[in-house]
Amino acid sequence: MGAREAGGSDLNARAWCKSALALIALLSSVPLLTGCWDRLEIEDRAVVLGISVDAIDPSEAEKEDEITHLRGSYLEPGGSMIRLGVQIAVPGRIPLGPGEGGGSGQGSSKRTVWVMDVPGYTIDDALMNLQQQLSGQLFFGHLRVIVVSESLARKGIQNLNDYLRRNSQLRRMAWMMVTKGKALDLMKSAPELERVPTLYLMSTMDSAVRMGKFPTNYVGMYWSRASKKGQEGFLPYVEMKKEQNIELKGMAYFKKDRMVGVTKPFEIATYMVIKGLNPAGYRAFVRLGNPERTVMVYATSRKSKINVDIRNGLPHFDVNIFTELNLEEKVSNELTVNRSSLLREVGKQNEKALLSSVESLIEQTKQAHSDIFGFGEYVRAMKPGYWRTHVKSKEAWQEMYPRITVDFHIHSRIRRIGMKAR
Amino acid sequence: MPLFRRRRSLKKKAPPSNAAPPDRRLEEVRHTDMSGRLEEVVRVINGLLGDNDDFVMRELRIFGRHPAVIFYYSNMVDQAGINSDVLKALMYPPPQFREEAAPRGRLKEVILCDALHHTEVKLESDLASLVEGVLRGQAVIAVDGIDEAYVVNTRSILKRSIDTPATEQVIRGPREGFIELLGTNLSLIRYRLQTCDLRIKSMELGRRTQSKVAICYLEGVVSPDLVKEVNRRLSQVDIDAVLDSGYLEQYIEDNHYSPFPQVQYTERPDKVVANLLEGRVAIMVDGSPLALLVPTVFNQFYQTVEDYTERFLLMSAIRLARLVALVFSLIFPSLYVSIISFNPELIPTEFAVAVAGGRAGVPFPAIVEVLVMEVSMEVLREATIRLPQQVGGALSIVGVLVVGQAAVAAGFASPITVVIIALTTIGSFATPAYNAALALRLLRFPLVIMAGIFGLYGVMIGLILIANHLLSLKSFGVPYLSPLVPGNFQGMKDLIARAPLWWMWRRPSFLFTGDKHRVDESTIDYVQKPSNDVLDPLKFKEDRKER
Amino acid sequence: MAEARQITTIQAAAILISTIIGVGVLPLPLFAVHAAESGAPFITFISALVAMASLVLVSVLGMRFPSQTIGQYSETIIGKWPGRIGSIMVIAFFAILTSLAAREFGEVVITAVLPRTPLEVTVTVMLLLAAISTRNNITTFAYIHFFYFPLLLGPALLITVLALKNADTINLLPIWGNGNIGIKGTIDGILTIASLFQSAFVLAIVIPSMRRPNRALRASIWGMVISGGLYVTIVLATVSVFGSEEIKNLLWPTLELAKATSLPANVLERLDAAFLAVWVTAVFTTLFSTYFFTVTELGNLFHLKDHKMLSFFLLPIVFLVAMLPQNILQMYEVIRNIGQMGLIITIGYPAFLLIIAWVRGKRGDRT
Repeated sequence: MGAREAGGSDLNARAWCKSALALIALLSSVPLLTGCWDRLEIEDRAVVLGISVDAIDPSEAEKEDEITHLRGSYLEPGGSMIRLGVQIAVPGRIPLGPGEGGGSGQGSSKRTVWVMDVPGYTIDDALMNLQQQLSGQLFFGHLRVIVVSESLARKGIQNLNDYLRRNSQLRRMAWMMVTKGKALDLMKSAPELERVPTLYLMSTMDSAVRMGKFPTNYVGMYWSRASKKGQEGFLPYVEMKKEQNIELKGMAYFKKDRMVGVTKPFEIATYMVIKGLNPAGYRAFVRLGNPERTVMVYATSRKSKINVDIRNGLPHFDVNIFTELNLEEKVSNELTVNRSSLLREVGKQNEKALLSSVESLIEQTKQAHSDIFGFGEYVRAMKPGYWRTHVKSKEAWQEMYPRITVDFHIHSRIRRIGMKAR
Repeated sequence: MPLFRRRRSLKKKAPPSNAAPPDRRLEEVRHTDMSGRLEEVVRVINGLLGDNDDFVMRELRIFGRHPAVIFYYSNMVDQAGINSDVLKALMYPPPQFREEAAPRGRLKEVILCDALHHTEVKLESDLASLVEGVLRGQAVIAVDGIDEAYVVNTRSILKRSIDTPATEQVIRGPREGFIELLGTNLSLIRYRLQTCDLRIKSMELGRRTQSKVAICYLEGVVSPDLVKEVNRRLSQVDIDAVLDSGYLEQYIEDNHYSPFPQVQYTERPDKVVANLLEGRVAIMVDGSPLALLVPTVFNQFYQTVEDYTERFLLMSAIRLARLVALVFSLIFPSLYVSIISFNPELIPTEFAVAVAGGRAGVPFPAIVEVLVMEVSMEVLREATIRLPQQVGGALSIVGVLVVGQAAVAAGFASPITVVIIALTTIGSFATPAYNAALALRLLRFPLVIMAGIFGLYGVMIGLILIANHLLSLKSFGVPYLSPLVPGNFQGMKDLIARAPLWWMWRRPSFLFTGDKHRVDESTIDYVQKPSNDVLDPLKFKEDRKER
Repeated sequence: MAEARQITTIQAAAILISTIIGVGVLPLPLFAVHAAESGAPFITFISALVAMASLVLVSVLGMRFPSQTIGQYSETIIGKWPGRIGSIMVIAFFAILTSLAAREFGEVVITAVLPRTPLEVTVTVMLLLAAISTRNNITTFAYIHFFYFPLLLGPALLITVLALKNADTINLLPIWGNGNIGIKGTIDGILTIASLFQSAFVLAIVIPSMRRPNRALRASIWGMVISGGLYVTIVLATVSVFGSEEIKNLLWPTLELAKATSLPANVLERLDAAFLAVWVTAVFTTLFSTYFFTVTELGNLFHLKDHKMLSFFLLPIVFLVAMLPQNILQMYEVIRNIGQMGLIITIGYPAFLLIIAWVRGKRGDRT
């Protein structure tokens, strides 16, 4: 009986111990409840939709407030300056749901975004200057478009890339673009179509990709390309038009982090031909003899295969290109499209035209030492032995790139001629 | 949560000797046999029950000579039956004894075999049993000079008619539901299971209520250990009253501190039968229209009878929808809070900007907003149950539409919050089992709080805690998430989708049933054979021509 | 053993898989690329083979002593006190493994999603979660792993499949790497990646509860094939999407992969926070295993009937160890060093035990 009682009290003690422990665990979780460290309501965030970066004259340094540094002390960074523009969504201005669109039809007068600009030495410096004037905390989770002015891009965007890579909020699927003229203007633009200007920029780029006007080139992909040893990055090059819309003016190609040149819009198509990228979206004139006998074709599908071998101690590339075309329009009735041999001839002419544009693009990039096609990557991947002995680094490939030879073998086929029979 | 699981040992059962039996005076006469003297029986029974105004003690003379007394509670018996089958039969001697009186020595036998016109009569000599018989609604006839009394089952309790089950309605399937009377309920089961394997064992539980508890199972199907364990657990229950099967449920379940029900209840006899056939044990209590089914696993809570009566493809889709609703009701509000307050980058930019607009005028953080709305929703729901039916419908419309709309208009809540709360609430009603839905609905509150502290990370931590708790739960030794964990492929055919009936030809393996098969192989073969085209038009072409 | 032998072979394999897949997956491509650039997938494969050695040794030992855990049979093989010292080493190593995993995940969470939450809080929450769960018995331990392992494979595979849209096979060539990294760096990398697998050592305490201990080898092979396969797949996807040079710029390439993908139709625009949230389960299962190992083995060492009390007593120690590294770069240095030293414990020690057992002809009772 005694033993049993002892067992019982032992049991009680243990049970007591357990409930005490549970209580301690509960109590220790109370401090947790007091802290919502990272809770920040969506409407308290300054949702940054777009950023523009311009290079400015260091003489404007006086205009900058001393927020991250003290002028004249050793904390002053010095160097070139930038002007950072941000587009912040104004909550409440953008109506909820599709029904109440535009707030009784005066959409353009009532801005849905707020554009601010600040100077600074670095991106972070500029952002801190901006944060000092803002109530909401800057939030980059929805940053979709980063616009860089051409002048800054030519100086190099290493600092911008570093900041964006390091920031955990940023998405790799944002668009980065280089603009002719001031980048801030793009932030300030107010296109009619979209309620939020930046989203218009973004959808311009996204649909350009869908229509085959530009290769997919999110900022993350640009970074990947730029850091590869045998390849250079490129960005879309845009210009603002007078209707506050933007035009895709070409590709800005880089050498490391510095922009070295820009292509013409049609050369985007040429680039996509060389890389065999689909969908194909560009139209081209094909002339059969005199100007009256001109037709317009558009590519429906492209394929390309790049082979590399070493000739005379230098890499040589054979690029086999195959494009399928449709005939879309002809200039006059002088030409009757009723024979397949004619289509074959159109294809031949197209091959010729393509070849010259392809070669000129290659030549252009060679002069800039900017291998946006990633020929170097082919050498690295296919000829690792050669790469190890002759190239090894990005700089070496930049040196070697102008000396490589490329042969193009282009095949074009016209498949369809539309609904008209002749 | 596992934290609280180990506290079971706290409440040690008091040794039986300590507790005073409720009817001390009744216990005094227990095991006291009748002596055969009528006055003594009258004294004892009258002493115990005579204070009641509905107690009737009627004297009579059997066959006109032997003095006797009949005791009963006037409101619990079928009075007409007593008049015709008992009184009349006893007062007049049967024809064969009209001429010469029955010998006194054989009187006991003559009354039982020749006189009483009633099917359920038994002889009792223990005084306490007699009293209990009267309490139960039986009529007790004590005859002078006989050392046993006749206990005639004249019980007649008014009962409501068998109705459609209110909480488990189906479109396709039987419409009968249990009622309060145990006997009727057992008959509903018996007529569905006409096999001699059906066993119904009963016991009486509750010191004062003496409620009859029936344990039903299928011999040969159910695992004998399970029956033994159910018996053991039930016999340990020594409580004052068993007013509903819910009282028993709380004593026989495995983990008393878990929010999740570990015993399923149902008011559908067909569901009970289906579960008996799977190898479960049903427990029914007199006075409760809800049968308990053990052991229970989690997937039973989102299955309905209809899943098996309708076509399997459709019902699989519907079951999937039900599962989605279940998940909705648990995590939707917390996901909303964590996305709005912590990770707005997850939702599309256009939507995020719009949500920010919708929330712009709301003074509270999302977590407070959601909690307030959730609590008021629970209040509304509770109010709807309490209100009389005629008002209830109106109130719920007023509540949901007007209050929701007004809250948005007043800038008290953002429209998206209202959408989220509405979806959550509706989702929780799509779960067939009310108690399981309730558990998940309550658990979403801690989840919302976790979301308010840590965002998605907190939601995940909360979910892991819940899942770990579910994984450690057991119902009569069966892991609660069976057959998902521990993996059993056969069982998974009935887990998320419902496979055709002939694919599920085995009983659930986690119940360790005796007889394993429920579909004969020949049937499986037959189903898979091509069907016979009796009325194929090609066959009748010849006929038509001839005509 | 008090509990019946409940754990099936599939469950044992599931334990291994969900134990192995943990926070290590996040920096994995970075380690692999540092070891061999474009040869990263191949290196990962080699490392999986190295890690396999440890598992094979443990399962062979376990099959030799089917009813004992490693602490118990080490005492049988090399004597009471040497065995105990060995056990203490293993236990200490697993405690450190627990704290480092908790710390590493705490750092990831703080850097990526909750920048203002104190590190102490995130680490404590993870450790508490593991500690609460270790109060279960080994059957529930197996159930928990079995339940979570599809949840780990699912998101990882989903992200890989979605990422393949942007994949470029040229990034994976040449499959041996460009040879820019010396043999020392490669071996260093192989050992580092192999050390990511070593929490699978937990098999040593699972075997005595397996329904058929002689199937332990099969379970460990399956566990390695699936988890190793997942590792290789993740490295493959990351390298093919980003290219090895870009990965060198990323601290947690796998997380970055989640960032670079979005669900079709933009239901969720970016998956990194969602992926991290789901990854809480992966980290939890790893922590759970290592901590369970620590606590139960310590309980066995002191011949305690119940390991449950230990799980909270040990918590402060594990927490303090987790707080030792001063910054994130030092933390990774510590993780690499401890991991490589750990290989001595997870490969060397069982190999030593097995050899001695052969030499002395010790063998457990086959019950």
